[in-house]
Amino acid sequence: MAGNRKPYNRSLPPAWAAHGDIQEALDALETYRKKDPNKVIVRFKAVGNAPIMKTNLYQINASNRFQAVIQFVRRQLQWKAGDPLFTYINLAFAPAPDDTVANLYKSFATDGHLIVNYSTTAAWG
Amino acid sequence: MATYRGSPSAFSTPASTTLFRRLTWEGTVPLEIRVDSKELPANSDRGLETYYIQAPRVSYLPLIVPELKRFLMDVVFDEAAGRIMKDEDWWFESEEGSLLKWHWPLGLIYDNHTVSASIRGTSSALPQPLAPLRIILHLAAPPTEKLLLAPSAEACKQAFMGQMKEADFLRWGNTKRMTGLRKAEQDGLWEGIKEHNFDEYWRVASKVTPTTTPLRSQSPPPSVAMHTRPPSADPQGATPDRDGAMNVRSVPVRIYLPDGPVLQDLVPPLLEDGVF
Repeated sequence: MAGNRKPYNRSLPPAWAAHGDIQEALDALETYRKKDPNKVIVRFKAVGNAPIMKTNLYQINASNRFQAVIQFVRRQLQWKAGDPLFTYINLAFAPAPDDTVANLYKSFATDGHLIVNYSTTAAWG
Repeated sequence: MATYRGSPSAFSTPASTTLFRRLTWEGTVPLEIRVDSKELPANSDRGLETYYIQAPRVSYLPLIVPELKRFLMDVVFDEAAGRIMKDEDWWFESEEGSLLKWHWPLGLIYDNHTVSASIRGTSSALPQPLAPLRIILHLAAPPTEKLLLAPSAEACKQAFMGQMKEADFLRWGNTKRMTGLRKAEQDGLWEGIKEHNFDEYWRVASKVTPTTTPLRSQSPPPSVAMHTRPPSADPQGATPDRDGAMNVRSVPVRIYLPDGPVLQDLVPPLLEDGVF
């Protein structure tokens, strides 16, 4: 029954690689590798018992991963390794740590700010 | 067994949608997982330390650890080594030494790796179709900083639920559908993934995903419908139009470029001229 079925080939079609058309695709991909030089404004808001930061508006590199934002908050609060900290966007969800600040800003910014809530206990979890 | 209120999937989801979901769900990828030879405990049965699995695309690395552990305990490690083995320290790398993320679905890991390898290599190095993805299992010292998450099924579940809420927010501008689920229902989503149980997953997922019956709810034109067919009196009991796939704010989409960044932006369900 499945005798004549060709298995799926998930690599790029060999014709591309053979004729050099792949170069065009590679060049296009390369444009996405350049770091986004922009900065976005992040507004930090404490939730529950979490201490308030001295300044709550910061410019953060758009190319940073959200993980860098989490580490930034931990430094600001002088949190030790292992101290619990939970971070959310728009009081709604915890983004993946490898989401970039640029992606989150494009999708979830409010009035030109990306709002990051932080809490010492799990909320909206 | 708990009784669930009328499962929308049973009544209002078109067969084509269910088929598409089923095909997506049933997709699998071949994996070849080998314990790092430098880390094999003394007295291990060498030559057998490779495990082959055809794993669901929608599953995650932490979810195949129990099966992998059973195999290694039964066949490869001796009793003394088995006793001190801690699977919470396990982590995975590709053959080329790139870290495999715990919160990426296996299908994504497979595709991203295969495509990246094929554009990096010369044409002669193109991977064979259906060749298993070769994975190295490390037994100790997980680089938690780079994995970004604790290597555990629980952390993976939390990340998964976070993604479900993010998608909810993109579609509707809030996470009410996800937070409105009872605890048992939320757990059911993850159990469905974990057990690879389509019905268990979609019994809950259909409550948070848009309905896919746009044509019926869009005709007759809304002005007529408002007067002749108030939603509450709809004899079909059709889900209100506001839950329709064409009425979401954005479609949750993410593009993973080979060896490159992940792109995400607001993606409206319709083009400006109203085309799907």
